[in-house]
Amino acid sequence: MPYYRVITPKNELDFDTRQEIATGFTDVHCGISAAPRNFVHVEFMETDKPGVIDDSHGAGQFSYDTKYYIAGGNRAGRPQEIKDQILNGLIGKFCEVTGISKNDVSGHISEAPAKWTMEGGHVLPDPGEEPPEWYAADTVAASGS
Amino acid sequence: MIEFVCVVQEGCIPENIREDLANGIVKSCNEVLGEDQGPIIFHWREIAKGLAFRGGYPSTTSQVKGKIPDGCSQEDRELLMRKICDSWSTISGTSDDDAIIGIRDATWQG
Repeated sequence: MPYYRVITPKNELDFDTRQEIATGFTDVHCGISAAPRNFVHVEFMETDKPGVIDDSHGAGQFSYDTKYYIAGGNRAGRPQEIKDQILNGLIGKFCEVTGISKNDVSGHISEAPAKWTMEGGHVLPDPGEEPPEWYAADTVAASGS
Repeated sequence: MIEFVCVVQEGCIPENIREDLANGIVKSCNEVLGEDQGPIIFHWREIAKGLAFRGGYPSTTSQVKGKIPDGCSQEDRELLMRKICDSWSTISGTSDDDAIIGIRDATWQG
């Protein structure tokens, strides 16, 4: 976590654009939270039937009426203002990269307790409780890329 | 009932090992939660190449997301995640870093 899904019409965004968005989302998330970059996941879901998507964190289904939708899943425990900052940052980055109007993009971020997830072989820490060793994987990833 | 959604990247987890991976998860659940939890249902989803990224780079990471009956202690939840992680890594030949394991309560509302 975090895991961000970007729902778009089919064949709307090419690979380079998708990667630029994914990198931008990583910048946004890591600029606000303490997560290592290697923990930021972005998936693009292409669909011909926009309007409804299953939540990844148990909140049932989301209905949306915009052409593009960002469905995020994060660790629980952040203040609402931080959660709003993250979502607004993601929407802003998506529009910046693609040139798409903010009127055509909406989103929602669901949450689950950090301790319910294991990543890199370790149970995730709560936001604000990240130990120094949590960043070791990021160092490895950066040096290997 | 227990339900798992396994999301894998195209070309990373061959179809012919998915039954073994599922069996490993079932064994882990039975060992930690007991065999009386009802059926264990699996859904598999494969993400096409070029559609998933990790840290801004193309991803090879799998997600194993389980939904279990409420009431599991954190100790058991961690043990279950550990066993699933170990099983997944052993069978697939990938590292711990290539899988995210999530186990949430059935009634969790996101």
